[in-house]
Amino acid sequence: MAKIRLLGVLALLTLAACSSAPAPVEDREVNARVRAPASEDKAGVQVYSLQNPAVKQLTAQAEVAEHAGDFDEASGYIERALRIQPRDPQLLQHMAEINLQKKDYQQALNFAVKSYETGPRVGEICSRNWRTISVAREHLQDPGGASEAEARASQCMNTRPKGL
Amino acid sequence: MAVKTKKHGPARRKSPSKKSARKKPGLLRRLFRPLMLLVGLGIGLSVPWVIWLDMQVRDEFEGRIWDVPSRVYARPLSLYSGKSISRDALMVELKAAGYRQLKQAIEPGSFSANANSFDIHRRAFQFDDGAEPSTRFRLVMRGDVIDSFDSDQKAGTAGLVRLDPAEIASIYPLHDEDRTLVVLQDVPELLVTGLQAVEDRKFKDHHGIAFRSIARAFVANLKAGKAVQGGSTLTQQLVKNYFLSSERTLTRKANEAIMAVLLELHYDKAQILEAYINEIYLGQQGQHAIHGFGRASEFYFDRSLQELEPQQIALLVGMVRGASMYNPRRNPQRSLQRRDRVLDIFELTGLMSAAEVKQAKSRPLGVTGQPRSGGSRYPAFLELVRQQLKRDYRASDLSSEGLRIFTTLAPSDQEYAQQAVSAGLDDLAQRGLPADLQSALVLADVTSGEIRALVGDRVAGRGGFNRALNARRQVGSVIKPLVYLTALEHADDYNLITPVMDEPISLRQPDGSVWSPANYDHKSRGEIPLMDALVHSYNQATVQVGLNVGTVNLIRKIRQLGVETEIQAVPATLLGAVELTPIEVAQMYQSLAAGGYSAPLRSVTAVLTSHGELLGRYPLRLMPLDRRDAVALVNFALTQVVEQGTAKNLHGLLGIDVRVAGKTGTTNERRDSWFVGYTRDLVAVTWVGRDDNRPAGVTGSNAAMRVWAGLFRHLPMEPVDLRMPDGAGFTWVDPAQQALTDPSCAGAVQLPFIEGSEPQMRTSCLEKMDRKNRKSLWRKWFDGKD
Repeated sequence: MAKIRLLGVLALLTLAACSSAPAPVEDREVNARVRAPASEDKAGVQVYSLQNPAVKQLTAQAEVAEHAGDFDEASGYIERALRIQPRDPQLLQHMAEINLQKKDYQQALNFAVKSYETGPRVGEICSRNWRTISVAREHLQDPGGASEAEARASQCMNTRPKGL
Repeated sequence: MAVKTKKHGPARRKSPSKKSARKKPGLLRRLFRPLMLLVGLGIGLSVPWVIWLDMQVRDEFEGRIWDVPSRVYARPLSLYSGKSISRDALMVELKAAGYRQLKQAIEPGSFSANANSFDIHRRAFQFDDGAEPSTRFRLVMRGDVIDSFDSDQKAGTAGLVRLDPAEIASIYPLHDEDRTLVVLQDVPELLVTGLQAVEDRKFKDHHGIAFRSIARAFVANLKAGKAVQGGSTLTQQLVKNYFLSSERTLTRKANEAIMAVLLELHYDKAQILEAYINEIYLGQQGQHAIHGFGRASEFYFDRSLQELEPQQIALLVGMVRGASMYNPRRNPQRSLQRRDRVLDIFELTGLMSAAEVKQAKSRPLGVTGQPRSGGSRYPAFLELVRQQLKRDYRASDLSSEGLRIFTTLAPSDQEYAQQAVSAGLDDLAQRGLPADLQSALVLADVTSGEIRALVGDRVAGRGGFNRALNARRQVGSVIKPLVYLTALEHADDYNLITPVMDEPISLRQPDGSVWSPANYDHKSRGEIPLMDALVHSYNQATVQVGLNVGTVNLIRKIRQLGVETEIQAVPATLLGAVELTPIEVAQMYQSLAAGGYSAPLRSVTAVLTSHGELLGRYPLRLMPLDRRDAVALVNFALTQVVEQGTAKNLHGLLGIDVRVAGKTGTTNERRDSWFVGYTRDLVAVTWVGRDDNRPAGVTGSNAAMRVWAGLFRHLPMEPVDLRMPDGAGFTWVDPAQQALTDPSCAGAVQLPFIEGSEPQMRTSCLEKMDRKNRKSLWRKWFDGKD
């Protein structure tokens, strides 16, 4: 994992030299509005699915591609991972976030919803689900739905999981 | 051009002859003019003749050779720690991908296997998303799961290897030609060298014709008093094959020789050899000639050229001399002699060692009993591939040469599916059902909708009528889940325990006749919970519910799930008097199995040009239905069909108790038998019946379900996921009292409900339990104070 992170950093440094470098990941909407606020909610109950090593590997490869701004390649890796674990909430959410960066808001919304449905419905992943749904709805001209989703995100830390 | 200068030669010599013209001309001199005229005429005529021959032979050569077919690949198998795959399935996959089993996996494309471990040397391969180098890896199995995995790939990518996929066919996407073309680098070395050793040892050096061989053959034939030896080079033989004619005249021979020289002028040896290997006549199947070693290999041995063993290569090489005379099926003795003779030549020319030849000679001919009709092992699947290519790609793109088409077929699943159908129908005949039953099967991945296997006939590899795509049959009760899905979407009116009436009903049809559907056992149950009507497939109750929700709405629902066929809105539609193909039924159920996330069923994942440029890929997209809550309820009910309803024998047939959802279907007079079933990851439809639609004595559970179980016995089975989506959840209820209850109360069952559709009443038992709980809460509170 550390190696992969290093690779990611290296990729960023290399790309920084190019004039057409993608926006640094910290500045992207997905980070500012989904990942960063969700990680602040990490305090409560956290449930993560057990990931297969092959899935972890593909996720790491997708992260490198994503940092470099190559979203098609990134989604290719996640697609392969989803063939291995089709109902993994983390993979589905990752796909949602890649779609958010691709500005394919409908697919971002669909993947986030499916991630929520198959996921723990609590904790950080739940918060990312609803924050993604909120951002996507906003872009899809559904402000009411967006604020409703925002409210759901804040419940992820204290709601008992439903439907289990 | 060279011919032209010759033509001018005699003309230039005319001037000195003028000088001596006055002398008395000799006989030779007198004949010179007419002779020259003749030569000139000869040349004058032969030049256009040669040019014409040149055009002919180049047309043939380029018309066939530059038409590089498209290669069709199966899905690449991903291997990693934790992957569920049986040892048997892995062997099938390796074999399909052309891997050879060796003592040690030293070269790419080989593997070695022990009791529970495999060493595999993956070839370098250009996947649809990039090239990967060859790699060696080792995996250890525990039961039907890969327990540990270790590869020599660089760090960070060591945990996962994709096998290069099986090449399942070479096709011309726009034509239906049936050839199996091969490229030279894929042809086994022994065939390339062996052909030359037996047919044309000077192939590398000659220019199309070999005068020495001709002379040698001439002498030999003269001695024998008949034609015993041919002096044709491979190039001449190729030309001969282009213009197949039994005529054995000198003119034809001369033409062939000239064309051979011309071919050699235009093309290099490798191109000529490749053309030869794909063109040469090697047998006959009814109306169709078997051309080329690739096709012959499938025709005689039912395997790809790359998989042939030395003695099989020798057999085919020997047949070049006379495909009919040495036909191994018709003249096995003569064929065997010829094969062994060829093996002797292989030994003589150093292509095989004495020991290898001895070993090869000890082997039987190895031809299959019945040749397969199609060029491919998977004619049914390939028909779907062609259909979808034509639907989704531009004709101009499909006509380009050498496309690489990546498909979704899983060779091991396909093999099990075909076996399940073929052996399954034989077994049904043993059980007293008709011997002329036919069947179709569609297996797809639940989430992606990718078709893993498709069977269109009970005979493996037989082309012709593809029932999976084209048999339009009444679906019977297989339609019912859609009726209940439409009902459950009206959560104000229906939940799984809503009482419905199962009682005789008579309806006037549009044509004026009266329709009175009966239940399977001709009994009516009266008032029953809605779920029971589906689980036990009661007709009368279903018609009541269906009439209430409206046939038009049912048809709308079927459309929403991806079926485009025109359907009549009559009451009988509610009981499946609708003709659908197996693949349409599979499409309908994919959406259910995926919890309401529709994915169009597809057989092609990506198409690349010969230069690796991507023509198209279908990325993974989610298409959710609005009412996934109702879908989840139906899914639950369909697991109960297997637990306690019409498919309750399934677990026995599978030999494993895993949560499966399913639905049986039988049509009037037992003409059609359907079963649709799914696990978490796979959905399959099976149909059994007669082609002429006569009564066949079949029911959903006595025929199609057996075939389905015959397939799933070989597949990894993950239980159906019953998690409810947002807005639905499980609740304890007492269906008889239509009331909420406590798990500990009598008659309590846990069922899924759409939020707000749960019963309002509470059982007295629940009230009692609640009072008790409240008391204990007080106690706890007080205890806490202590």
